[in-house]
Amino acid sequence: MAERNPKVVGFCCEEHGIECANLAVRSGKQYDVSVRLVRVPCTGRVDGIHILKALEDGADAVFVLGCLEKNCYYDTGSIEGRKRVDYVKSMLSQVGIEPERVEMFNASSSMAWKFSEIVSKMTDVAKRLGPIEPRGDGQ
Amino acid sequence: MNNKVLVIGGGPAGLTAAQALVSNGEEVVLVEREDTLGGMARELACKGISECRNCGVCYVIDLAAEILRTPGVEVLLRSEVASVDKTNDGFKVKIRSSPRYVTGSCIGCDKCTEACPVEGKAIFAPTGSGHPRAYWIDRDRCLHFKKAKCEKCAEVCPTNAINYDDRAKNVTRNVSRVILATGMDPIDAGEIPRLGYGTIPNVVSSVDAERALNEKGRLVRPSDGVPPKKIAIIQCVGSRNEKAGVQYCSKFCCKYGTKIGQLMIDENPDTDLDFYFMDLRTLYEPQDEFKKWADSIKRKVEKKKFPRVRLIRSMPSQAFPGDDGKVWLRSSGETDSEVTETPYDLVVLSVGMRPRTLPEGLARSLGLTTDGCGFARCEDSELRSKVAVLGAVCEPMDIEETVTRAIAVGSVTVRKEGAT
Amino acid sequence: MKRSIQVVICRICSGAANVLDTDKLLRVASEAPYVGSAIAVDYACNTKTIAQIVEEAKDKEIDRLLVVPCSKNEVSPALFQSYKRKAKINEFLMEAVDLVSEVVLPHRDEPSKAQAKAEAKLLAAIARMAMLEPLQKGSEEMRTKNVVIIGAGVAGVEAAKRAAEAGLHTILIEKSDKEVKAPGVVMPRSRLISAKGHAGNYELTIEAGEKMEALECGAVIVASGGDWSEAKGPLVRACPEAKPLYKLAQELSSGNIPKGGVVIVDTPDPKADTTPAQDFAWEEALQCAIEIKKRESGTDVCLMFQEMRALGLAELSYKEAAELGVRFVRYDKKRPPKIDSKDKNRIVVIDSAQEQAIAIAFECLYYASIAPNPDNMAIAEALRIPMNDSGGVRRGSMQKGPIATPRPGIFVCGSAQFPRSEEMSRLEGRAAGALAAQFVSTGTVEFGGSVAEVTPEKCSACLTCVRTCPYEAPFIGVAGKAEIRLQLCQGCGMCVGICPSKAIELHNYTDDQLSAEVASYIGGDF
Repeated sequence: MAERNPKVVGFCCEEHGIECANLAVRSGKQYDVSVRLVRVPCTGRVDGIHILKALEDGADAVFVLGCLEKNCYYDTGSIEGRKRVDYVKSMLSQVGIEPERVEMFNASSSMAWKFSEIVSKMTDVAKRLGPIEPRGDGQ
Repeated sequence: MNNKVLVIGGGPAGLTAAQALVSNGEEVVLVEREDTLGGMARELACKGISECRNCGVCYVIDLAAEILRTPGVEVLLRSEVASVDKTNDGFKVKIRSSPRYVTGSCIGCDKCTEACPVEGKAIFAPTGSGHPRAYWIDRDRCLHFKKAKCEKCAEVCPTNAINYDDRAKNVTRNVSRVILATGMDPIDAGEIPRLGYGTIPNVVSSVDAERALNEKGRLVRPSDGVPPKKIAIIQCVGSRNEKAGVQYCSKFCCKYGTKIGQLMIDENPDTDLDFYFMDLRTLYEPQDEFKKWADSIKRKVEKKKFPRVRLIRSMPSQAFPGDDGKVWLRSSGETDSEVTETPYDLVVLSVGMRPRTLPEGLARSLGLTTDGCGFARCEDSELRSKVAVLGAVCEPMDIEETVTRAIAVGSVTVRKEGAT
Repeated sequence: MKRSIQVVICRICSGAANVLDTDKLLRVASEAPYVGSAIAVDYACNTKTIAQIVEEAKDKEIDRLLVVPCSKNEVSPALFQSYKRKAKINEFLMEAVDLVSEVVLPHRDEPSKAQAKAEAKLLAAIARMAMLEPLQKGSEEMRTKNVVIIGAGVAGVEAAKRAAEAGLHTILIEKSDKEVKAPGVVMPRSRLISAKGHAGNYELTIEAGEKMEALECGAVIVASGGDWSEAKGPLVRACPEAKPLYKLAQELSSGNIPKGGVVIVDTPDPKADTTPAQDFAWEEALQCAIEIKKRESGTDVCLMFQEMRALGLAELSYKEAAELGVRFVRYDKKRPPKIDSKDKNRIVVIDSAQEQAIAIAFECLYYASIAPNPDNMAIAEALRIPMNDSGGVRRGSMQKGPIATPRPGIFVCGSAQFPRSEEMSRLEGRAAGALAAQFVSTGTVEFGGSVAEVTPEKCSACLTCVRTCPYEAPFIGVAGKAEIRLQLCQGCGMCVGICPSKAIELHNYTDDQLSAEVASYIGGDF
């Protein structure tokens, strides 16, 4: 198994998701280079297929970061995002992939510490579990 | 006609008023004493985990960032109003801005604080979660301004944002109206020494707790950094207290105290909470919501369920230290008929607030007086139509109420005397 | 016009120059597909620089812009305007790539890895930009500048006054026929039946008396208040003469000071599972109690409550009342006060402070009560806004402020949301009036751009999108397929994410665009 750096992808909503990350970063917090962020208007936009494709494209772990429930800029968006993440987790269990590779988080724009915690947690998962083992028939 | 309005104070009240004014086509000069906008909310923590708990802190932080992007608002940070003189159509205001020594190019990378040789530092990060995320130098501590001519921060700054030539600026603005929104100061828990603040290590105030939760997301025992297993939160510390000279209720402490409690319990399944209170004054929710929540939080041990949260209607009389950093609280129960002593890992004192003192000169020029409790009023018959007082400096209120009042009053200056 | 991107990298103010090799970034960008021009400048907000950038864009026939800006992370407004006007670039084809927050700041200590990430991010942004489509925003005139206010109570009237101060025409819909002093039009004996349209151009159907009337307006304020009518509860059943607290205030103001004992209880139904906080009542109850004692010191006054909620400065009234001899009895919900079965003019309760049963004689019994307005459900359904757990109309997230509902152009104030004191209702009404005025004053409504669109052939009319959208944007059209009302779509993409047939796309956040960005960004080594 080739040694390669862990890969984590985070889908962050343009409202509180990315603001939480920005506040963390503008409070001097550094984070692991294994995390790359993709912006979406709302985590409700995130479909299971984006998470699965990200895993297929080589991500070891994927997180979705949205507004706190009941404080979503689009009212119910982060609740929808969580439903999608839960659905993907159950699908992963069924095909023998660890569901903890995919996780949903909620934060607000004043929680600088939370982004660091999310990054730590997901990079730990990525390092611990490593790349998803390809199946023998090249799938 | 002059449609410029001076807003003194960049906290929730000032920011909301500024936004309301700009939306109504007015121009605003926003004067903030500190280095960032946001007021007290900068050091308050968001109390949600996955669900919002309506504390209102993120609203203020978002608004602070937005006001900086709003063209109609001139934001003057590290500034104070030096003088106010009446004119024909309003006021001539002199504002003094202390130099920040860091320009707008600052990207908040923190290299300068790492490089600063002064003990306790002379260059500082923005306070709490406030905006803008730009640093500032305290001239009195900085070696560059003493004989040393130190330039370590400038050497490491990636965007050349350090400007030692920054000077204090005096600007003059002509405005038609003034809004005072200078906010409040938390009561120092040390004023109630029997509760151990400042003498017993594991007694913290709600201000400390909020700061720790905001910076780290965790509240641990100061003595050893271990997460507490048994916490006590004591409400009404300072408020409703004749000795401390605070006869009123600070209004928002039950709201925040219960939410801090809920946050601690939800985050740590091993933690228990004793909530000491006099009257439960949570805001905007059904009266017994917190009590119902407390009843529902139980720990299962073998086949039995034990409550993790107890509501104790009592003001503890004494805190004293025990072994292992424990804090013992002595209190009577609900009927004052028994006295119990209980050990805790951490005690949080929910402190109330006092309105910020009005600078004398400013008060005179604007016709401001204070009532018996120190809350600001404008009762001058001539100036009432041009001067308004908003936010916690005029009455105890939480962020939600502050915002509502500021929207209601912000666009038209109305006299404030407890009712609009 | 072929797709051609201009990449502009701001070297200095992004701090990129110290962590990253911006020359290499520039090279990587210029070699990427669809990039027609790649320039590095010191400050892209400088007028001369802007002129140069735009000249180059016109020369190279650029049709889209990608900027790596300073820490403000936006295409500088001056550059944006110049591009729009001089180079005729579509506003949706101009984006900023936030390398400051995503690479420069968090990875300062690992410059080589930061470089790799910055290059990957730029290439991913280029891949995304290459796939975007030019979009147009639409706008519509507001046909009227009316503000319709449902409920002519304290909050509603105050809202009308404030909106009228801003020069708007207000229409108050009031279900009773009480006399209302307010600006604009007052429609008595009227109810909201249904609402169509969108923010800026609502069409309401009002039942006015026996006729149906159509009203057009730009914004709606829900100020339906609470139900102050004589409430139900065991205390009221046992003592039919008991009256709501506001009647005591009325009697006092007309000079009728009770001489016999007065008892004020905080709720007519003490055992009710969730008692709405009767904050509004405590200031009033204390004021009444103080007034009675000052004018008739011999009258016994007793306040009974679960929690003494004298908030803020009302605490001073609490002290004053106690000093005047008003009696305070706290009870536990599990042992509520009851009318003595043998003497209708005695109330028996276990005083929690003494843990003893006491009996208080009274001549007049008052209870603080406000129930949710039973009409709130109908109003919420008509306007398609959500309700909260207390039977009131819910406001949107805290992000939007305490007065806005999730739907743009609809505001809620006063006890319609949650029981409020008179003063708070007035303030909320005023705030709602101010917000509605600000919303309607612009006179036009913008919509479109990055919104959702359905491909009818793929739609299976499962109604999932209709049920998911908080803004009522999707509907099943005459063709039996889902369609999106552009004026309502907020561009969140929830319907897109949930559609099981993948029949909806969000412009400029389509599945293909997102996939291309992700694949480009995470391909290769991190």
